[in-house]
Amino acid sequence: MNVYNIALREIKSSLREPRTMLFMLAFPIVLMLILGTALSNVFSNFTPVDNIRLLYSNESGQPQLTQYWESFSQEMGRQGIDIAPIASGQVGREQVREGQYTAYVELKADGMQLYGSSKQSIESNIAQGMLTAFADRYNLAAAAFRSDPSKAEAILANAGAVTGGEFIRETSLNPNKSPGSIDYYAIAMTTMIALYAAISGSYLFRGERTRHTAIRLMAAPIAKGELFAGKVIGCTLINFLSVLVVVLFSKFVFQADWGSHYGIVFLVLGTEVVLAVSLGLGVGYLVQGESPRAVVMIFTQIASFVGGAYFPVESDGSFMGVLTYLSPLRWANTALIGAIYTDDMSAAWQTIGLNVGIAAAFLLISIVIMRKREVL
Amino acid sequence: MNVLEIRNLTKKFGDFIAVDNMSLNVREGEIFGFLGANGAGKSTTINMISSLLRSTKGEIVILGRSIASDVQFAKMNIGIVPQDIAIYEDMTAYENVSFFAGLYGLRGAHLKERTEEALNFVGLGDKQKSLPKNFSGGMKRRLNIACAIAHRPKLIIMDEPTVGIDPQSRNYILNSVKQLNRMGCTIIYTSHYMEEVEEICTRIAIVDHGKIIAEGTKEQLKAIVTDTKNVWIEVRGGDHLNINSVKHIQGVLSVRLDDHMLKISSKGEINNLNLILQQLIQDRIEIRSIEEQAPNLETVFLTLTGRNLRD
Repeated sequence: MNVYNIALREIKSSLREPRTMLFMLAFPIVLMLILGTALSNVFSNFTPVDNIRLLYSNESGQPQLTQYWESFSQEMGRQGIDIAPIASGQVGREQVREGQYTAYVELKADGMQLYGSSKQSIESNIAQGMLTAFADRYNLAAAAFRSDPSKAEAILANAGAVTGGEFIRETSLNPNKSPGSIDYYAIAMTTMIALYAAISGSYLFRGERTRHTAIRLMAAPIAKGELFAGKVIGCTLINFLSVLVVVLFSKFVFQADWGSHYGIVFLVLGTEVVLAVSLGLGVGYLVQGESPRAVVMIFTQIASFVGGAYFPVESDGSFMGVLTYLSPLRWANTALIGAIYTDDMSAAWQTIGLNVGIAAAFLLISIVIMRKREVL
Repeated sequence: MNVLEIRNLTKKFGDFIAVDNMSLNVREGEIFGFLGANGAGKSTTINMISSLLRSTKGEIVILGRSIASDVQFAKMNIGIVPQDIAIYEDMTAYENVSFFAGLYGLRGAHLKERTEEALNFVGLGDKQKSLPKNFSGGMKRRLNIACAIAHRPKLIIMDEPTVGIDPQSRNYILNSVKQLNRMGCTIIYTSHYMEEVEEICTRIAIVDHGKIIAEGTKEQLKAIVTDTKNVWIEVRGGDHLNINSVKHIQGVLSVRLDDHMLKISSKGEINNLNLILQQLIQDRIEIRSIEEQAPNLETVFLTLTGRNLRD
């Protein structure tokens, strides 16, 4: 009963502290919105091809090629690609350099010459691919013409239709779904705010000392263990509640994707909160004076930064890359993205194990120091 | 019957001896004054009685049971009013009292009844739903008391319960202490205000350097210093005063200068006032008034410790 009363007081006290609630709820939600909106392009894997503009000049003097090119142009036009002949006085390469066109093609009797824009490399590569397909087909028709002109006619007549009219075939190399910017920052901000529970953890018993209520608690006929359990449980629950609110807000207001494995998602987040509270508590006991809060703040900031809270980080073998593996935020983010987007639970279980193990170590340290001390 | 027995109690912090082989009894129904200057060992003793600190040596017995063998029993029967206000500012007055009383095993209707009773007792019955952050200093002090008495302890330890409050609140608290005593509570009371101690305490112990140097009723303590006389001389230009030269005058026991008041204790049988005045004139000290003090707790304390209680 004492554990329940102490935990309840901890929860009530946190709920009545508007600055804490603002920090724990408004801060991640606002950051989620700002970063999710501002960095949406970073997460986009969609490149529209309807703004490809191709300029060409036909100096081949070959009617068959001209005819085939006209068919090709019409087909491309239907697919949203603008192919325009060069006007007199225009210099094709200049037009591309100035960004007016994606590429410039010269059709000559001895072949095609393509000048692509380095500013629009993706679009330029698409144009190159289309023209390669065009050239292959024309070469095929030319070869057929030498042996059987009727077959060549058929090839040319069906230009752009033989393969379903597709000169561009989309083949995805990454069939799995991946997070958009809001999805990513919903996860990253939630795991970050879960880690911020370390701050309240560091103040858990120090707060009682500064308020002088530690005297009353120590003088009351309750075991230190009850006091410890009540405070840790209360702090963990209120922080987990904040995390829950952030998750629900991001899901229903920002339409963030939290997948369908809610059990594992909340288990990862819950154990991260336990880890954070224990870490803060441990630091509060290990570091003397007013420093614990500063130590925890620095740790959470670095862990957030290298863990991918503000932008996605890749591990590239560098010192920073190795550092990312030490961030609990990174573990949680990897676990959640794996569970949500690839149905892969292995990282989640590893993270849960790490969180629980480290939390147990810090709790043990705190208990040992608390038992040794005469005061809280 | 003794509510509290302290036997050969010692507390060391490293090499420093805060409490030195102290023995003391507090009888049921007493308001026991515990006097000592800062660092005298008073708070350490109180903390050991309240089970906040472990003793290095010795024994504390509450209502016949040793704290060492039954700390829960001791805690159940003690109420603490700490010197620093120990309440939660973000919880209402009712929630504060109810929370702390709940730690003593009170539940349900019983808890509600005791909480309301404690709040009414300290005059905060109409402020049950108010947050202490909106309270005056005096109201917070009263809430501090309510949190200590809701579980009806047999022994209440009040450590400077009237620090920094207005005279009206002080009177209220002093009356509350007397009323608690009439209701059967034994009280250990510490204060820097001698007049409070003189007014309410039935027995007093003076602590210095971790030891009890005097113990008894007010009258018994004053009797200790009947062989001394105390002269208070109001002076101007006290900065030039050479206190050591006054100390060396025949019969002088202690000298101290508080603001413009020179407080001198001398042996009763020696008439040295002329010598003292001559020394002051020689030191070019302007004398404004001279007053012989009848023995009171302050002069007793000064005589016994050579220090003021507020030192």
